[in-house]
Amino acid sequence: MKLPVLLRTTPFRLTLLFLALFTGAAALFLGYIYVATAGEVTTRADSEVGREIASLRTVFAQGGGSALNGALIERASGDRPFLYLLSDPQGKPVTGNIAATPVEPSTAEAHASFRVSETDPDGAVTRRQAWGRQVKLADGELLFVGVDIGAQRGFVVRIVRALWGAGVLIVLLGLAGGVLVSRNVTRQMASLRTVVTAVESGDLHVRAPVRGVGDEFDELAMGLNVMLDRVERLMGGLRHAGDAIAHDLRSPLTRMRARLEVALIEVEAGKADPLQALESTLADADSVLRTFNAVLAISRLQAAGQLTNALEFDLSELAGGMTELYEPLCEDKGLAFDAQFAPHLIIRGDREFVAQALSNLLDNAVKYTPPGGAIMLRTRRRSSGEAEVSVTDTGPGVPEADRVRVVQRFVRLENSRSQPGSGLGLSLVSAVAEAHGGRLDLDEGPGAAPDGTGPGLRTALSFPAV
Amino acid sequence: MRILIMEDDVSAAEAMARGLVEAGHEPTHAPDGEEGLKQARAGDFDVLVVDRMMPKMDGLTAVEALRREGDATPVLFLSALGEVEDRVTGLKAGGDDYLVKPYAFSELIARVEALSRRRETGAVSTTLKVGDLCMDLIARTVHRGAAEIDLQPREFQLLEFLMRHAGQSVTRTMLLEKVWEYHFDPQTNVIDVHISRLRGKIDKSFDHPMLSTVRGAGYRLDP
Repeated sequence: MKLPVLLRTTPFRLTLLFLALFTGAAALFLGYIYVATAGEVTTRADSEVGREIASLRTVFAQGGGSALNGALIERASGDRPFLYLLSDPQGKPVTGNIAATPVEPSTAEAHASFRVSETDPDGAVTRRQAWGRQVKLADGELLFVGVDIGAQRGFVVRIVRALWGAGVLIVLLGLAGGVLVSRNVTRQMASLRTVVTAVESGDLHVRAPVRGVGDEFDELAMGLNVMLDRVERLMGGLRHAGDAIAHDLRSPLTRMRARLEVALIEVEAGKADPLQALESTLADADSVLRTFNAVLAISRLQAAGQLTNALEFDLSELAGGMTELYEPLCEDKGLAFDAQFAPHLIIRGDREFVAQALSNLLDNAVKYTPPGGAIMLRTRRRSSGEAEVSVTDTGPGVPEADRVRVVQRFVRLENSRSQPGSGLGLSLVSAVAEAHGGRLDLDEGPGAAPDGTGPGLRTALSFPAV
Repeated sequence: MRILIMEDDVSAAEAMARGLVEAGHEPTHAPDGEEGLKQARAGDFDVLVVDRMMPKMDGLTAVEALRREGDATPVLFLSALGEVEDRVTGLKAGGDDYLVKPYAFSELIARVEALSRRRETGAVSTTLKVGDLCMDLIARTVHRGAAEIDLQPREFQLLEFLMRHAGQSVTRTMLLEKVWEYHFDPQTNVIDVHISRLRGKIDKSFDHPMLSTVRGAGYRLDP
């Protein structure tokens, strides 16, 4: 049999546990109070009885049996609260206001707790608790003296009853509190569970409600929401990357397919050389592959959000390597190459991606700068602490209005169409910058030259200070 | 040269095999890692071309198993995983070279041939000789015939790589990777300029040119 949901909750079980502990403690407490008060009543009665016996012994010692008898008769009829019984050595009652002793008649020095009946004037009989002691007198007679402790005992009983009542009340309140707390906790857990279930079934937009109380549930809900935000962002990035790849590859593949089809028709008609058609198709395929690789690199950078392979390295050293790679190319093209590096410019990042980005910037500069121009590669530490590597050329530059656009995928300006290129170079550079927490800035170069060239372009890649 | 292709994409493997036959090699195909491992153990191959992701047993596991058994046959990993750490894991598992899909076939051929050559010249020698071109690796000098050729440090490295792979095509990407140690694809042919400078130094004043351009592939140094 399964318990109702409420009773199976952790808070309810905890409540039960605490209640059990509390009840145990309360029972011990009650027991102690009972023993202490009841004991006290008996002790006091015993000492009263003791004093009375002592006084009667004095009477007996001074006046003998008859004096004792007289004193007993006198005292029993007075307003003293004591009960008396004098018996002969055989236990036969002689004088007293009770009929028999509650102790063994023949024993000396015995005490007992007993009950006495009292008949009210209206005939009702009440039985009351009493305490008494029996002693043997010097002549062998037995003297029993008791005292009515009904009133005191009744008081103790009432206290105990009140404590029991309180105990029951506490247990009931505890149970009710446990149920309330469990209901509350269960409700909050349920709201979190709803979120988890929704995410499980693929909905990443749900968020756990935050009540603003700042308790553990709010903290958990906020943590869950932060996690969901991140997951959603990553998933979005991946989906975006997938869409982008599909989009970016469709056009070059369509182009290639069209060219193949045309080549097939032309070769069939004998108008074209099959070998040449194959060769140009191969070149097309290579260009698709290059585009694919660039798109993949960009998508990976954008989807990852952060670099998986970051190491610290010297940006100037990397730029030095690039200089060594590109300088001959510039020289061949009749371009002056100037390099200025700040020593020891440490950044944290993916060395290969940064190298690729720098290579793209240099490729562009070499491609678009007419012979006789100049290219400058420079690294420096900005006053803000950022590390910057910049490539400045004396080519036609990019009009200010187009500078944001050229960074987007596949955007190629009108005058660049004559040059080979995928239109992804700057997008990749920008993606590399973003993945490193840096940025790509495009500015005007050194300005228009008297010979009509310029104003040039300055591309700068900045990385956060390590 | 006997080449084992471990590749689960059958049509890709067939195309590769045809290309390798055309290039004068003897390819064998295994469609998964287990079969590939069995064949690699049984046959004597010069080079293994291993796809990283295959059914039954992936390429990494297969190559690790071979290396544990002391098999040192050169391995070229093919993979769609092109991140730096993917390449590093591939090389750590015992691969000798790593080619990211999609790749140009000429690139594959050049790398396979470069790997087989590596095995043949196991002995360490301090001089390289191709035709009348002679390189002293200790003194860092190069002579062609009697004439001493003055090279920049990078040109020296470039020529050393070409001489070690004399008679084989080497691609621009290979040169960029092995000589400059960059793993990316430059859009302009920066390598061409370096080659033409080197050519100017080793070929220009001689009747017989040694460094030639292989169309659609790269370069080749011949005696």
